[in-house]
Amino acid sequence: MKTTLTVNGEAHEVTHDPRRSLLDTLRDDLRLTGTKKGCDHGQCGACTVLLNGERVNSCLCLTAMHDGDEVTTIEGIGSPERLSALQKAFVEKDGYQCGFCTPGQIMSATAMLREISEGAPSYVSDDLEVPKLTDTEMAERMSGNLCRCSAYPLIREAIAMASEVSQ
Amino acid sequence: MKDTFTMDCPQPRLLDETHQGVIGTGMDRPDGPQKVSGTAPYTADNPTEGVAHGALVRATVTRGRVAGIDRASIANLPGVIDVITDPRMTRNPAQGMAGEAPVQPGDAVHYHGQPIALVVAETFEAARDAAQRLKVTYTTENAAVTPENGEHEVGEPDAAGDFQRAFDSAEVQLDREYTTPSQVSAAMEPHAAIAEWKGNEVTLRAAQQMVRFNKAELADTLGIDESQVRILSPFVGGGFGSKLGLGPEAAAACIASQKLGRPVRVVMPRQTVFDCVLRRSETKQRVRLGATKDGRLTAISHDDQVSNLDGEGFAEPTSQASQFLYGADGLSFTQTVARIAATPAGSVRAPGEAVGMLAFESAVDELAQELGMDPLELRLKNIPATHPLDGRPYSVRRLADCLTGGAERFGWKDRAVKREGDWLVGMGMASAARSNMLVKSAARVRLTGDRAVVETDMTDIGTGTYAILAQITAEMLGLPPAQVEVRLGDSDLPGASGSGGSFGANSAGSATFLAAKDLRGQIAERLGCAVDDLTLQDGRARGANREVALSELVEAELTAEATIEAGETAETHFSSGFGAHFAEVAVNEWTGEVRVRRMLGVMAMGRILNEKTARSQAIGGMVWGIGGALTEEMVNDSRDGHVVTRDLANYHVAAHADVPRDMQVVFLEERDDWANPIQTKGIGELGISGAGAAVLNAIAHATGVRIYDFPATPDKVIAALEAKG
Amino acid sequence: MYSFDFARPTSVADAVAALGQEDAQALSGGQTLIPTLKQRLASPSVLVSLSAIADLKGVSAEGGTLSIGAGTTHATVAAEAGAYPALAELAGQIGDPAVRNRGTIGGSIANNDPSACYPAAALGSGATIVTNSREIAADDYFQGMFTTALEEGEIITAVRFPIPEKAAYIKFQQPASRFALVGVYVSKGAGGVRVAVTGASNDGVFRWSEAEAALAGDFSAGAVEGLAAPSGADMISDLHGSGDYRAHLVKVLTKRAVAKANG
Repeated sequence: MKTTLTVNGEAHEVTHDPRRSLLDTLRDDLRLTGTKKGCDHGQCGACTVLLNGERVNSCLCLTAMHDGDEVTTIEGIGSPERLSALQKAFVEKDGYQCGFCTPGQIMSATAMLREISEGAPSYVSDDLEVPKLTDTEMAERMSGNLCRCSAYPLIREAIAMASEVSQ
Repeated sequence: MKDTFTMDCPQPRLLDETHQGVIGTGMDRPDGPQKVSGTAPYTADNPTEGVAHGALVRATVTRGRVAGIDRASIANLPGVIDVITDPRMTRNPAQGMAGEAPVQPGDAVHYHGQPIALVVAETFEAARDAAQRLKVTYTTENAAVTPENGEHEVGEPDAAGDFQRAFDSAEVQLDREYTTPSQVSAAMEPHAAIAEWKGNEVTLRAAQQMVRFNKAELADTLGIDESQVRILSPFVGGGFGSKLGLGPEAAAACIASQKLGRPVRVVMPRQTVFDCVLRRSETKQRVRLGATKDGRLTAISHDDQVSNLDGEGFAEPTSQASQFLYGADGLSFTQTVARIAATPAGSVRAPGEAVGMLAFESAVDELAQELGMDPLELRLKNIPATHPLDGRPYSVRRLADCLTGGAERFGWKDRAVKREGDWLVGMGMASAARSNMLVKSAARVRLTGDRAVVETDMTDIGTGTYAILAQITAEMLGLPPAQVEVRLGDSDLPGASGSGGSFGANSAGSATFLAAKDLRGQIAERLGCAVDDLTLQDGRARGANREVALSELVEAELTAEATIEAGETAETHFSSGFGAHFAEVAVNEWTGEVRVRRMLGVMAMGRILNEKTARSQAIGGMVWGIGGALTEEMVNDSRDGHVVTRDLANYHVAAHADVPRDMQVVFLEERDDWANPIQTKGIGELGISGAGAAVLNAIAHATGVRIYDFPATPDKVIAALEAKG
Repeated sequence: MYSFDFARPTSVADAVAALGQEDAQALSGGQTLIPTLKQRLASPSVLVSLSAIADLKGVSAEGGTLSIGAGTTHATVAAEAGAYPALAELAGQIGDPAVRNRGTIGGSIANNDPSACYPAAALGSGATIVTNSREIAADDYFQGMFTTALEEGEIITAVRFPIPEKAAYIKFQQPASRFALVGVYVSKGAGGVRVAVTGASNDGVFRWSEAEAALAGDFSAGAVEGLAAPSGADMISDLHGSGDYRAHLVKVLTKRAVAKANG
């Protein structure tokens, strides 16, 4: 079957098996391999992308469900020569080790910073009106993204740093 | 090839005399921009024209033989190419540093989930479907799947003095039994391989930690010469032991590619990673301690029972650190291996210490409690003068400094159980120890003008190899690190130790150092000065009253290759990293939930090559300590041995929410002249060794109850609290 | 994954028609169904995606009732169900943010996982499950683990919640999957007091009638204090917690939920 997607601003028509996940479409059909497959079951977050602006596990999306949708992957966030503030902060704070979960962490954090700026509370928020980027907030909101190297405190330092830069 | 340098005597500290000033600094990883932008190519990311997709078919019986494979059962599925069975296929990954083929079982099935065939198809979806649909018939045999029922091989004790007499006559005795479940590495990158043949030579892209050994393992598996094998592993998405040895996915990809005459990719689904990558054995441990009333240890015993599959030589070295942390009049350590039909056991981060110290340091803590003594004091009081079993001197050991320094920083002396609503808050601590190793390793450094290239088949599995080899070379040659390129993970390059046992930086770093040192000699010769008078800094060479830019002095490439291996110092001295872990936890008295609030690790691990990547490694280890203490538990079905917790929703590795921001690491200044010429010790595993025990001891402090069956999950905490009343 | 055909209708009527095919299966956000398919625990001939049906999406409050379209994501409910704060808070605790951006209330209620959160809210609020053909009271709808009153081919179009005077949900999550190890939803409203428990029972979500009776006269945490916890023998006992531990949590969390509902 055929599905049309806009990925990082570029329109693609892909022909695929109905069983194809959005993750496999991105990686194998469009060769955007920055998005990683860590579990294929929505349990690790390595495949996080933005779907119409919201973070999702691309392994839990069938490509067939997304005709006409817009997807942003890590390749749409920055390149080695032009890193985003968040990407730079991950390098400076060593917010990774093996790097395999890193694109997912950065996609998730990119969305999280926007969610907080738009005032979306989480259940750990003290103040339901104006959520702040506390470490507790970040720890809760980033818990869908596993890092077995366990760079967690440094990932959150990097996010906090990038947030300060952007403000 | 140059002569091999053997580590036979203590080495001068050249890296303290060079002038570039980059060694030890927290330099950003040079591979960072690739990692954060998704452009670092991990195995499965490599585009391969005409690639076919392989999926491992796995046994659904525990023990027996494959009686028949009904190829017709999937012949009509669109996209299916072939079902590959082959006597060269492997049962499980090779053990670390095996250097030879793992067991090749033919049609025999030795455990539930064992790979028995590979289905190859045009698409991933078709291969995945067909591998499950393929009809396989078996003949079956009975087999023990639990350690209790398995055949027990009881080892000879490692002992000194007369333990039994010392224990029987001790003024205070403690005798406790502990259990830990199987654990897994669960690296974020599932095991992956892409194989392609050209003529009779195969190129394998694979996620592997030890390329030099893996090359030998693959050649032996395929029955070809090592010269016909090339392995590429430049980026590895985590290892922790799970990618030490050549895996069944790699063997299968090579065999299928050869048969089909096209490239084949095999990526393990996460569930397969759980089922047939080596696990850490479950353990049953008995710790017996005898002491005088004033807290001098007189008797130490740490016996353990672990398991493995027949034919696997590895046994979790549970009591490793217990054998040299503290002294006593009598010591005894006996290991029993139970043979069971389950996923074989192998190395998972800090084999031995990771689970052995959970038990041993819990027991030491409980003994302190029985003695009415500060657990810190008990540990300080029993640091031995020399290795308790063989009398070797320690190379350099700052355990006491770590303990006292850590206690001061953490506020240990002010510890008191606090109540905050439903939460009980307490503090715990433990010693850390992880023995240090040097493994044969080679590297080549090439210098043209003021640019250098380091070449070795060493891997970077997240450990920071790209950074530290650049720093060592830059420091030795007086170059900004950005002018050093590091090429790793290619078996055509000089063979290194690989990443394992925390010996990678020691070994590959020393080989790189020696090659760069050779180049310093060549530069001095060109400059016309003695090498001792040579100063290299910022791309300029000074000596004999001359100063010349390297770009002028070294117009044609200079090359040096060096190999290092362990020598007499490994016999004469005992080298180990030491440290102290501290943890503060809050325990909910109604739900049993344990929250770690802060941790501190103070560690003395020789020279730190990169403060930033070293800290990351240490923190990572401490988080693994939290996981081992509180959540990580692999469960096998007690009837057929199959893995029940085979995904990340059932095997709980620590997530963001489990880890506090306040995870402090302090490195004490140290040089280990006996260990290697760069005076380093291993880092990646010391962070975990003892960390979990600090968490468990904090639970005991907060609640007054101890758990002996780890991990300390909420239901066990509640049960212990209720039993206490 | 077994192979299947794929349909993406744009109206409820077309979806119902597509679901009339043999072994057809409705697909909403896919956060449970897609992993289920990958594990080969389902083998539909055709997957009928409901994601393109605009009528199934949205949150609206009117006259003391909150109505949520079945295809509304957890993230949307968390953000837009302000008229019923306890429900919005529950939605904001399901899974992780990525799952909340795809998973839907209709999918959760149709699946009736014994550890899911929404069934506790629906039963604990006395909600009405609206389908393409009828309306079903929550008390009649949930019929045991993964079992509901839905007929073959019937799809949920909306869930209607009467907004109670007081309500709260407390979840103790299984830390890896973030499903409820036990979750307790309490409410006090025109229909009386309800205490619905998820994650605990072998029979799926259930009402803890002893607690409801005790709380009817005295809606305070103290009223639960004197009750015996439900029997651990009826509780789920698995890798993540014993039946006795779950039974213990039911009582602990009920007290907390009542305290929270009282502010």
